[in-house]
Amino acid sequence: MIELQDVSKIYRTALIETHALNRVTVEIAAGEFVAIMGPSGSGKTSFLNVVGLLDGFDEGNYRLDGEDVGRLTDRRASRLRNEKIGFIFQSFNLIPDLDVFDNVDVPLRYRGFNGKERKSRIEEALAMVGLSSRLHHRPAQLSGGQQQRVAIARALVGQPKLILADEPTGNLDSAMAREIMDLLESINDLGTTIVMVTHDPELAARSARQIHLLDGRVIDVDSGTPAPLYNPAVFAAEPMGAEV
Amino acid sequence: MLLYNLRLAWSSLRRTPWLSALTLITLAIGVGVATTFVSMVHLLGRDPLPELSDDLFYVRLDNWNPEEPRSRNFPERPPQQVTYRDSLALLEAPDPVLKASAFRTQLIVHPDDPAQRPFPRMTRAATRDFFALFDVPFAHGGTWDQRADETGAKVVVLDHETNDRLFGGDNSVGRELRLGEHVYTVAGVLAPWRPVVKVFDVTQGPNNEPESLFIPFRVAESIELGVYGNSSGWTSWDTYEERLFASESVFTQHWVRLETEEQKASYQQWLNEYTEGQRAGDRFLRPTNNWIQPMMAWLEEMEVVPPSSQRMMIIALLFLAVCAVNLIGLLLGKFLARAPEIGVRRALGASRGAIFVQHLVECQVLALLGSLIGIGLASLGLAVLTSDNAGEQLLYPDASTMLIGVLLAMAAGLVAGIYPAWRIGATAPAIHLKLQ
Repeated sequence: MIELQDVSKIYRTALIETHALNRVTVEIAAGEFVAIMGPSGSGKTSFLNVVGLLDGFDEGNYRLDGEDVGRLTDRRASRLRNEKIGFIFQSFNLIPDLDVFDNVDVPLRYRGFNGKERKSRIEEALAMVGLSSRLHHRPAQLSGGQQQRVAIARALVGQPKLILADEPTGNLDSAMAREIMDLLESINDLGTTIVMVTHDPELAARSARQIHLLDGRVIDVDSGTPAPLYNPAVFAAEPMGAEV
Repeated sequence: MLLYNLRLAWSSLRRTPWLSALTLITLAIGVGVATTFVSMVHLLGRDPLPELSDDLFYVRLDNWNPEEPRSRNFPERPPQQVTYRDSLALLEAPDPVLKASAFRTQLIVHPDDPAQRPFPRMTRAATRDFFALFDVPFAHGGTWDQRADETGAKVVVLDHETNDRLFGGDNSVGRELRLGEHVYTVAGVLAPWRPVVKVFDVTQGPNNEPESLFIPFRVAESIELGVYGNSSGWTSWDTYEERLFASESVFTQHWVRLETEEQKASYQQWLNEYTEGQRAGDRFLRPTNNWIQPMMAWLEEMEVVPPSSQRMMIIALLFLAVCAVNLIGLLLGKFLARAPEIGVRRALGASRGAIFVQHLVECQVLALLGSLIGIGLASLGLAVLTSDNAGEQLLYPDASTMLIGVLLAMAAGLVAGIYPAWRIGATAPAIHLKLQ
C-alpha cells in the first residue's frame, strides 16, 4: 500500500538545513495496522504529511497503492487524498458551523457524488460509528468521543484504502480511547490499512507493527515485538497535543 | 458544487456579521457612486427615439462667409442651423416623407379668466410634420392642416400643463386663446410629454424642457416673433423682414425623414442643386457642403452626453476601484482566519482550485448583495443629479441601471476577491492542520 524508499524531507533556512525525514524507507502492506512512534520532533508528523500527500518531499521515491506519487499536480494529489486516504486528527478537526451530517459530507462533496449517493454513504458511515441519532447536532453539542467518532465516520465515508490517524485518542480519556481503538481495529478487520501516530505504548501495542522514528530516521522496524531504542516513559511525560 | 459553494458563502457571511456588513457597505458605496455616473452617461447617450432615429436626419447647409468657415476648429462643419428663407425652400423638397422647420420664440399668454395675470410661455414655431417626426403624443386634437402651414394661420397646440392652467384640463380644441396681440384657435393638446433629450433642438441645452406652445412656422411672416433660441450670422440686417428673407442669419432647425438610400441620394442631389442655384444671387459661395446628418451623429456632435459627465464617470469608476482595493485587505483577513478549516478541506480532497472557487463565489455573493444596496444608492444619485429646474427627474433607473450595478459589483468583487481567494487556496494544508 505504502512504499517509501530513501525519502527525505528537508526544511531549509539561510543558515541551517533540518532533515525532518532522512532517507526513510518503509513498506506497509495493504490491510496492515501500523503504529508510528517517536519523541517530539522525531518526524512523525512529517512522515504522516508526506504519506498523506499533504506535503511534498525532497528526495527519494514514494508509491501509494502502486502509483508513483512523487510528482503529482495539486489536482491529482487532492483526488488521491479524497479517494484513497481518510484522515483522523487528534483534535478531531470538525468544522464547527456544520452539523454532523454536513461534516461527514465534506469529502463526498469533492468526490462529486449525487445527493442520493451521498446521503446513503453518510448514513452508513454514521451507523458504523454509532451516531445515527446525532445527524443534525453541531460538534459543540457532542462529547469528545462522539466528535472523534464523527471524524472517523468522515474518514470512512469515502471508503478509502488507507486511514492515517494522528494521535486519534490524544484528547480522550482512557475509556473513550479504548472505544476508539476498538473501532479502528474493526475498520482494520474489514481490510482498511491503518497508520496511526501515537505516543502511547499501550495503544501502539494493539497495532500489528510499530515503526519508530528518531531525528527523521527509522531506527527500528519490528514486525512482531516492539523494541524501542528510547524510553517510552519519556513520551508518556510529554504534554498531550504538543505535536499534531 | 455551485449550490454547495453558495451555501458555504452564506454561512460564512452569517458567521462574521459585522465584518460582512463592513464589507457590504464599502462595496455598496463604491457601486452606488459608480452606477450613478455610468448609468447617467448610458441613459443620456442612448438613442432617445429608437423607433424613428434610423430615418431621421438633420439638414445643414453651408451658407457661411466665403472668407472663413463657421468654425475655425472644425472648418469642415457647416453651420448648425439654417436661415428662415432656406427653411422655406427646404419645405418644398419632394423627397422627404416628412419634413419640418422650427425655431424657438416666446409669446405672452392672456388668460380669459381676469383673475389670472398674463404670463410668458416658451413657444415653438414649427411646421405641421414636427409632431409626427418626433412622435409627440396628443391628448386631444392634433396638428394643424397644410393650409395653416402655408398661410401661417393663428392656430396653436398647447402642452398638457398650459391646457390644465388655462382650461382646467378640458378638451380645449376649437377654443380661442389670446397670445400676445392675436387670438389663436386651439388645434390640439399634448399628452404629458417630457423627453430626456430635446432632440429637435439641442443647440440650447439638450435636456431643457420642451416648449409649452406650438404655432405654425410662417406666423413669423405676419407677426414679429423674437428668436429665443441660438442664432448666428455673418451678414447684418435692419428689419425683421430682412432678417427672414435677405440675411444669412441661421436660427431655424430643419429635420427630414428619409426612409431609403434612394431618397437620401435624391435629396442630397436636390440640396446641392438648390445651393448651387442660390449662387446666382451671390449666396453659398463656399464649396458645396450640405449635410444630411443622422440624428445620433448630430446629438454626438452636440455632446448630448456632456464631457464633464464622462469625466465624472471615470472618477466614479476609480473610486469603485479604490473601494475594491480596500476590500482586498478585509477579505484577506477574513479568509486567512478560516485557514484551519481550509486545511481540513484540503486534507479531505479539496484542490487549490476548489478552495479558490469557493472563496470567489463568496466574494460574488457579497458583490450581489452589495449591488442591491448600490443600485438603491444609484437611484437616489440619479434623482439628485438629473432633476431639472422644475424639480422633475429626467433619468430613472431601469433594467440597464440594474445590470450596470450588478456587473460593476461583480467586477469589484472579482478584483477584491481574486488575491485573497488565491492566497487561501495556495497555502499548504499541512501548515493549517497544525493550527487546529
